[in-house]
Amino acid sequence: MDLFVSMFAATIIAATPLIFAALGELVVEKSGVLNLGIEGMMLAGAAFGVWAHFAGLPMIVALAAAILAGAAASLLFGVLALTFMTNQYAAGLALAIFGTGVSAFIGRGFGSTPVEAIKPMNLPWLSDIPIIGEMFFRYDPLVYFAFVMFGVVSWFLYRTKSGLALRAIGESPDSAHAIGFEVIRIRYLAVMFGGAMAGLGGAYLSLVYTPLWVENMTAGRGWIALALVVFSAWRPMRVILGAWLFGGMTILQLQGQAIGLSVPSEFLSALPYLATIAVLVLISRNRQAMTLDFPVSLGKPFRPKG
Amino acid sequence: MKRATRRDILKAGASAGLAAGLAGLPAISQASEKLKIGVVYVSPVSDIGWTKQHSLGVETIKTEFGENAEITVIDNIFRPQDAERVFRELAGSGNDLVFGTSFSHGTPMQKVAPRFPQTAFEHCSGIKHLKNLGTFEAKYFEGTYVAGVAAGHVSKSAKIGFIGGFPIPDIVGPANALLRGAQSVNPDITCNVIFLNSWFDPGKEKEAAKTLIAQGCDVICSMTDTATGVQVAGESGAWSIGYASDMAAFGNGKHLTAFTLNWAPVYVQAARDVAGGTWTSSERWLGLADEVVQISPYNADLSDEVVAAAETARRDIASGALHPFAGELRDQGGTVRVEAGQVLSVAGIRGIDWFVEGMIGKLG
Repeated sequence: MDLFVSMFAATIIAATPLIFAALGELVVEKSGVLNLGIEGMMLAGAAFGVWAHFAGLPMIVALAAAILAGAAASLLFGVLALTFMTNQYAAGLALAIFGTGVSAFIGRGFGSTPVEAIKPMNLPWLSDIPIIGEMFFRYDPLVYFAFVMFGVVSWFLYRTKSGLALRAIGESPDSAHAIGFEVIRIRYLAVMFGGAMAGLGGAYLSLVYTPLWVENMTAGRGWIALALVVFSAWRPMRVILGAWLFGGMTILQLQGQAIGLSVPSEFLSALPYLATIAVLVLISRNRQAMTLDFPVSLGKPFRPKG
Repeated sequence: MKRATRRDILKAGASAGLAAGLAGLPAISQASEKLKIGVVYVSPVSDIGWTKQHSLGVETIKTEFGENAEITVIDNIFRPQDAERVFRELAGSGNDLVFGTSFSHGTPMQKVAPRFPQTAFEHCSGIKHLKNLGTFEAKYFEGTYVAGVAAGHVSKSAKIGFIGGFPIPDIVGPANALLRGAQSVNPDITCNVIFLNSWFDPGKEKEAAKTLIAQGCDVICSMTDTATGVQVAGESGAWSIGYASDMAAFGNGKHLTAFTLNWAPVYVQAARDVAGGTWTSSERWLGLADEVVQISPYNADLSDEVVAAAETARRDIASGALHPFAGELRDQGGTVRVEAGQVLSVAGIRGIDWFVEGMIGKLG
């Protein structure tokens, strides 16, 4: 039971940076823009968060710096892809590479000192409940904030007029434009929201999860987040489930190695990917379920006509 | 890139002639000229870790040669296809000595070296050496053995944990030696192993460390390029062993020691030899005796007795009195691999693909 509880808690925490980044990208893609630069924006967030932390600023300001850094990085993509209408794939990849380089530059000199991490909350009474307390009430505030953001994104997309406009733009920017929505402006806002969320996900890595700075410390999580959006078939709830599945399988395979399971470690390490693909194949059997929420204009530049 | 002028071509011809006169030894052509050195790093120079330790080695060349050495550093070259271009460029632009610092630089260096017979190439972690391509590598397992002796003393659960990148001999060997060191104190100690199957992933490393601690391991040795393992162990109140650089700052007071890498002797010697015209390609495998593998300061909380035991092991390995893989050595399945009174051969260590008795984990 102890083992299950600790694995459960580890999964929730491991999934948190993925949830932030993937929820952000979901909103971006719902507006019809494909930003492949999540990895770069996460790294920018991670580096600027650490930079602000070592500048002696309080943790909340460090997080704000990370969010701003992610949003600023995404703005670069926005200018290229939305204003100058360059190819979104190329602009996104450029952002991924650019963010990696910039973050390495910003982080110079921070690698030899540990970061004072954001501590898990200790709620009176609730945290002390056996099992339940450990499973649900002993996380750092950002874990709960990820769930708040899940609620906000779901509510925004499906319960507000602006969300409807955003989805309409993702489906058919021409129609949305014709009835008076400012497609480019709304796409800019979506892209910046995605950047801010990626920056926050990056800061979660460098300030909470593994509280230190190393170059390239996201180690591919930006790409996993990108894949999670496809995996989710563009639905917020499935983003969360996908992140848990991936995180849980990673924890499970490490556990398998540690107890000396008689399976080669190479195979165990591939398990999270295999499991994710297996689930994706199962979901994809229902064609309608996969395509229902797909933003039709995804990746296509928009030129206002007339 | 600079375009070759007629003067450059004449100069190149003259130096080639001179070098041919020196029995084909790749020496610098004129003693008055600066020694030109090119270095290729696999990652940016961070504040700790593998590339940092190499950069410290390069620094010692600067200290010794001062104005007489011109050093070009190119970092973040991992992929072989990039590396080949970089090595050709460094050799082509007249560097007398070129260092590659990663296993992945091997194939490109082997391709480039024969085309530039005047240039001395030195490859860290290399396995193949050519007429003008030397290789050097550290005996990491000597370091983990010493750390293992300290771990054997402090482990209360008699379980230690090891995190490695990939199940390759350079990592399996040190994992085995860590346990051998610990078992020299307490024969019942076991070691759980997790391979990340990634060279670099701090997040996964954190989960691996937590998993090992959840399994009851109270000493964690993380042979990866970040301090995450040390940090997680410290947070959980477990002891830790650092690798490459001293990681005490991350250990929350529980950093036992680190086996660190000091490449300075290799770098300085190669520069001296090339400058003096005596460089020949050689294969070097260096450990505690050569001070290439070093043991960083022990944790101040350790008792004198523990430190003395570890230091004895360090001295005995350096002097050759103690061998980490001395018989009788059994593998995981209980089969005797090395008879009593013998030691595992060099080829046996460099190609080790099995776990010693007491290791918990599976090799592919």
